[in-house]
Amino acid sequence: RYVRQLQRLQLLFSPTAADARGARQFVEEAALDFARQHPDVVLYISPRCGPAPLLLAEYLNGTVREELIASKTSEEIVQLATKLAGQSGLDIIRIRKPFHTDNPSVQGQWHPLTNKPSALTVQGPRLQPQ
Amino acid sequence: VAKTSLTSPPWPEVKLPDPVEEAKYHAEVVQKVNKMIAEGQYGRLFAVVHFASKQWKITSEDLIMMDNVLEAECGDRIRMEKVLLVGADDFTLIGRPLLGKDLVRVEATVIEKTESWPKINMRFWKRHNYQRKKIIVNPQTVLRINTIEIFPCLS
Repeated sequence: RYVRQLQRLQLLFSPTAADARGARQFVEEAALDFARQHPDVVLYISPRCGPAPLLLAEYLNGTVREELIASKTSEEIVQLATKLAGQSGLDIIRIRKPFHTDNPSVQGQWHPLTNKPSALTVQGPRLQPQ
Repeated sequence: VAKTSLTSPPWPEVKLPDPVEEAKYHAEVVQKVNKMIAEGQYGRLFAVVHFASKQWKITSEDLIMMDNVLEAECGDRIRMEKVLLVGADDFTLIGRPLLGKDLVRVEATVIEKTESWPKINMRFWKRHNYQRKKIIVNPQTVLRINTIEIFPCLS
């Protein structure tokens, strides 16, 4: 029952720029392997003659992450892509608690009056048991 | 000898019951709990599990995050051993210190393998022209606990 959170991976690079060499090698060698290993991620490869090469990742909740792949070897791009594939689209900010429950208490939450004898059973000079 | 305020300890004196009677009581309680588990009368189960050098109190369908890398891929089902405590609404099973593997079964799935937010590690000494800045990013794994099951094999 596991759904991968990565929807699309768009690889934008230019066929002539020098810093897109790693991207071009990745497209030639490792792109097919990556696509076969992650069958539920769609990989778009579009060459364009523009600025630096980019790797766009779109997630199921709509967040889009851009990563620069200029002057990176194809192994580094593979690692980056696997890391993006394992992430979900939530923002990477400081999370306060490393756990999250919908039902925090099973036996009833503790309050200072649990496990204490009630006033009905206390015998004293003033209190009379009912 | 006269009784002063220090002859007896200040806490109330507790008399332990007979060992034979206690053994019978224990056996009866164990039988009742076994019958309850076998019939499935418990509602929600919670467990205390030792995982990644930390102890977590978990129920089904809740999220846990580790600050390390697990060898499992995203979407793998993991069975957690090292269960210390299992409880339901009416009874709890306490292990010393662990419960047996044939008693409890805790299953979890790896949902996400991300990196933490970039933490800044900076060292600065004043008047010495010394400052070093380092950005630390830790890999993290997110697990979701699927089920906690118990089987009636107490003794």
